[in-house]
Amino acid sequence: MALATTHASRSRATGASLRLSILLFVADPQWLVPSTIAPIVFGLVSFELFRNAGPYFLTYAILGAGMMSMWGQTLYGSGWATGADRQLGTLEPTIQAPTPYLYVVLGRIIWNVVAGLFGGGVVYVVVVLAAGGPPSLPNPLLFVVLFVFVMVTLAAVGVVFAAAFVYSRYAGFIQNIGEFAFYVGTGCMFPVVLLPFWTNPIALLFPPTWALDALRYASIPGYTGFGWGFGWDLLGAVATTAVYASIAGGVFTRVERHVLEVGDLSDY
Amino acid sequence: MSDDLAIEVRNLVRVFESRKGFFFGEKNRTEALKGVELLVGRGTIFGLLGPNGAGKTTLTKILSTLLLPTTGTVRVLGHDVVEEASWLRPRIGLVLGGERGLYNRINARENLRYFADLYGIPPVERDRRITEVLERVDLTWAGDRRVEEYSRGMKQKLHIARGILHRPEILFLDEPTIGLDPKSARETRKLVRSLVVDGVTIFLTTHYMFEAEELCPQVAVLSKGRIVANDTIGGLRQRVGGDRTIEVEAYGFEDRELSLLRGLPGVSHVTGEEFGPRMRLTLRVRTWETTPEQVGLLLPGHPELSVRERRTSLEDVYLDLVEEEAN
Ligand SMILES: Nc1ncnc2c1ncn2[C@@H]1O[C@H](COP(=O)(O)OP(=O)(O)OP(=O)(O)O)[C@@H](O)[C@H]1O
Ligand SMILES: [Mg+2]
Repeated sequence: MALATTHASRSRATGASLRLSILLFVADPQWLVPSTIAPIVFGLVSFELFRNAGPYFLTYAILGAGMMSMWGQTLYGSGWATGADRQLGTLEPTIQAPTPYLYVVLGRIIWNVVAGLFGGGVVYVVVVLAAGGPPSLPNPLLFVVLFVFVMVTLAAVGVVFAAAFVYSRYAGFIQNIGEFAFYVGTGCMFPVVLLPFWTNPIALLFPPTWALDALRYASIPGYTGFGWGFGWDLLGAVATTAVYASIAGGVFTRVERHVLEVGDLSDY
Repeated sequence: MSDDLAIEVRNLVRVFESRKGFFFGEKNRTEALKGVELLVGRGTIFGLLGPNGAGKTTLTKILSTLLLPTTGTVRVLGHDVVEEASWLRPRIGLVLGGERGLYNRINARENLRYFADLYGIPPVERDRRITEVLERVDLTWAGDRRVEEYSRGMKQKLHIARGILHRPEILFLDEPTIGLDPKSARETRKLVRSLVVDGVTIFLTTHYMFEAEELCPQVAVLSKGRIVANDTIGGLRQRVGGDRTIEVEAYGFEDRELSLLRGLPGVSHVTGEEFGPRMRLTLRVRTWETTPEQVGLLLPGHPELSVRERRTSLEDVYLDLVEEEAN
């Protein structure tokens, strides 16, 4: 048969990987517990934190807590699947197959973004229930467009983190730092102005930081955020996402070469 | 480079460097392959024999593009495993086997379907092909069962099914019968034999000479990262030649007695093996001068001493080769 990989077969591999993620989830839905509890806690805490922050605090609270749970899910999920492959011994046959591993990762990221959306939904419900009603949105259409864009930026980060997990079995360490830098640096946990500036630069390396700030500009009248305005936020988000997307292929090629040199595709 | 070669390995060295200990401060260096030379023709079953740690898995992974050589050149189907890995991957089947390497929570069909998609098998063909390979490995009845319910033998068959799913031109099997009971091992060997009929080249590794003898016209013996023999079964049998084997058993021997036995005319090897309180010495003898009676006379005072002569087997040749390298 000896089939070369074509665009069609690559997208089929991504589809197969998405399908596998769903099947594995259905076979063992236990992670539903942490991924429901975390958003509930995030939602309640941020409601308490921001309830005196002005008339639009509700949107701020939902976006902050929602992003925290979506970010956690995307990062955690994308890296975790590769770690699981290593432990199961399935990373070797997967890498040996002709489709580049990147396309397998893409399928998982799609699943994790969807799963993250579930967490975002939980946050929304929790905060709305706590506040006694939904927030008002000045521009719902722009909100939806930017929200979808935020998910794209999350996916871009997920790909790079997944590469880190292929590269090294110790990638969890980097992931935890990234997760914390994001929570704090984006003002999801505390408003940005309360924090020293040095916490921000790390967060600015992540496209979702920029996209989230743009989303806040669009949905919270009077929002100042990082202070440089909606246009720069959007530009920063597009630019960082473009960088992530353009290096993803190259990163995976290098990472694969590295693991084939070191020979640690499998945990024993 | 020659077109009728399935595998061509020249001066292959593979070094593993690993770090461990506090903050990975200790460095470990293992030379798993120390200059391997190997040529394998197409359309046969080639057997690579070797004890634990010989480097069989390392070589198998390098041949199947899962590990890079440190130095040396390796060509499979006439193509370089490093430079032309993407040409090779769809043409290679790899069965690392064992309990790992499958998604246990989903059924066999779904496992195969996932890998079929990664191998780019068109959807119109995929389901038919999955049915075909399940039939081939005799797992049709269990295709819809979760892999976690599979026995070890069933998992091994499923590994093989996955290995042949995309109709590879060359199939690598790393210890395909390890951990299987004799019946499952026999079934697996039968399955392996049936695969060459399709013109596939098979490269398999094993610990057992009898397995290689049953399956492989050509075998190589790998010991401590070096090929110590590469011959046909017939050629290896000739090494046995007129050799005889004398086995001596008792409750332990003294060093002095061992050197006495080694000094007997025509004795080329003496190897020892303990089982329970007893110890067995195996003597390889090249001439007729040394007889079991003489051996018995050299070992007085042993209660329940047993001395017997038996036919030298290929397994003995293999053990001698591996032993030689170790000394
Ligand atoms: N990833 C690795 N990192 C470090 N050392 C390794 C690695 N893989 C193999 N080795 C070492 O290389 C040597 C050869 O190992 P290999 O697994 O190839 O042997 P083998 O012949 O397959 O043995 P077995 O019969 O036990 O499967 C061993 O000393 C082993 O410890
Ligand atoms: Mg091995």
